[in-house]
Amino acid sequence: MDSSNDEAVDIIITNVVATFRTRCHLNLRTIALEGINVIYKPEVGKVLMKLRKPRITASIWSSGKIICTGATSEDEAKLGARRLARCLQKLGFKVRFSAFKVVNVLAVCSMPFSIHLVDFTKNNRPIASYEPELHPAATYRIKNIKATVQVFSTGSLTITGPNVQNVATAVEQVYPLLFECRKPLCK
Amino acid sequence: MSASSLPFPVIVPMLRVPILKPMFLPFPFSLWPRTLLPPLFLRPTVVKFPPTPCRLTASVAVVVNPGLDRSDISYSRTTAVTRKPCVNLIQGLERVKEISRILRVRREIEELALTYYKQAYEHETFLHVTLQRKEILGGCCVLASCRQQRWPITVGTISCLLNGDPAAVGEVYQEMIKVLNIQAPTFSVTDVMEAHCQEYKVSPGHVPEELAEDSKGLTKRAIALVELAADSWIVTGRQPLPIMMAAVYLAWQSLKPNAQRLKMSLEKFCKLAKVQKSKTAGTRITEMKGMLYKLGKEIPWYKEVLTPDNVVSLVGDVLQHRFSLLRRALKSHELSLLEKCPAGQVNPSSAETSSSSDVSEDAGQTPVKSSVNAEKEKQGRDGDESLKSPSEESNPQTQELTQNWGKRVLFAPPCVVNAKRKRAERPPLHVTGDEEISDSEIESYIRTPQEARDFAMMQEKLFTSNNESS
Repeated sequence: MDSSNDEAVDIIITNVVATFRTRCHLNLRTIALEGINVIYKPEVGKVLMKLRKPRITASIWSSGKIICTGATSEDEAKLGARRLARCLQKLGFKVRFSAFKVVNVLAVCSMPFSIHLVDFTKNNRPIASYEPELHPAATYRIKNIKATVQVFSTGSLTITGPNVQNVATAVEQVYPLLFECRKPLCK
Repeated sequence: MSASSLPFPVIVPMLRVPILKPMFLPFPFSLWPRTLLPPLFLRPTVVKFPPTPCRLTASVAVVVNPGLDRSDISYSRTTAVTRKPCVNLIQGLERVKEISRILRVRREIEELALTYYKQAYEHETFLHVTLQRKEILGGCCVLASCRQQRWPITVGTISCLLNGDPAAVGEVYQEMIKVLNIQAPTFSVTDVMEAHCQEYKVSPGHVPEELAEDSKGLTKRAIALVELAADSWIVTGRQPLPIMMAAVYLAWQSLKPNAQRLKMSLEKFCKLAKVQKSKTAGTRITEMKGMLYKLGKEIPWYKEVLTPDNVVSLVGDVLQHRFSLLRRALKSHELSLLEKCPAGQVNPSSAETSSSSDVSEDAGQTPVKSSVNAEKEKQGRDGDESLKSPSEESNPQTQELTQNWGKRVLFAPPCVVNAKRKRAERPPLHVTGDEEISDSEIESYIRTPQEARDFAMMQEKLFTSNNESS
């Protein structure tokens, strides 16, 4: 098992959520009428607009606040947001791309070993919590970097954090704790 | 307007106010005309209607009646009301007591639960929530105190008692733990097994003798089955109730494996034992039988044909010799893997674990190199050192074994053995975020004026036709 310490672990970013503001009021009906790939939801007061490249979905509110989801990197999220802002400019709105911020990054990772969740929770209480009746994974919250790691017994991890760097740091922090609790086949 | 110009005597609230004893009131206080009452009475916080004479003496300042002995009391003391505990808090504490008594917990657990409830109730997180949430909080306090005092109880039991959603109970429980800053250890399935087995009414007094089973023997066999299932990836991450039900059912069948018991289905067994059947228990029974079959195959003295259906009669032998059977099963599995794939193509577990005499090997260790290399294969990296070869590429079986570690080990989680087909990953875009955006690609997202007009016309027609039809 010593060789597993030297193995690299791939962290695959599956979703990046970013927000930005247009600094102007947006007429949602105009966007719904003149935009393609647009879904208008008057009951919640927003418009969904989907871009092909990068593949993102934007939720647009009339106040000018926009949330972009679906990107697989921070740069992709920024490019998608800028394309969206340009699109709204072309529709006739006086858009100024501002306050762009990545708010959430979701990543998955797979450990090369399986994990004994009960031992992991016992060793890391109260940071780790495990309620098998509620959710099959143990939750490990790292306060200082505001990241949450969900650990499954198969060795799969789901990490959420405010940015990609924090997600990587979370995996680095949690790896040795998981390594201690590798699951043997039987005792 | 000065005080002297008013038709009635004015008592200024900021000053000391004389008190009158109620016996000198000519008629009931509530009939006094409001204009004659001093301004103090008009304050709703002071007077409670209908007031009784004793309440009046306790809390209300009334009209000045000269000639009586009066003691001057400060305004704040006269208007001060003894703070009573909140009615909902009292009801909540009663509810906690009721839950504790239904569960027949020890007195210390009940008292601890009451303490937790009072602390949590007065915290801002739970002070202004709905009554339903406060009731759930009571159940969660009992749960936390049971766990701290090592009294086995599940979240499902509390949810059942509160008649609430387990997800809501879990959410309130997590919040409560954080607010009170306490730690409550969780229980494993084996800890709650004994309490669960007692629910099954299959002891000699409840059912005919041929179907009856002693509670202690049943519990012991069921716990052993659950422990074996835990080693085989059947328990981890699953709901405990179906596993316990499956273990009790198989234990009951295996203790006296006669034809009557072996033919009885899970549904009939649950009716016999007067418990509610869990739908998932059937799946767990199948998984446990599969696990017992893999071990039962290695029993050297069993000469007949063994199938997952007839393995129940061998459960006793399997449990008694489980470690040696497990070792034999692992070795047989490694040999079969070597036969399937050429040597060196897939890294079996034997190279890493045959040196150890105990069977304390990691089921996840075997895919260490292969899974990481599988990841590298997926991303098309160069320099893959050990596993790639033309023969392996052409053999789908070895490729499957390389990529799915669940196929290579004897026991693996069902989600790994029957892995879902992964979505085709889109190639990553190598962008910086600050690239130039050309007009042509933006034009593809905007309708031309003609298209916009046509779209608007179509929407209008649809709207009118919908209105006509409705």
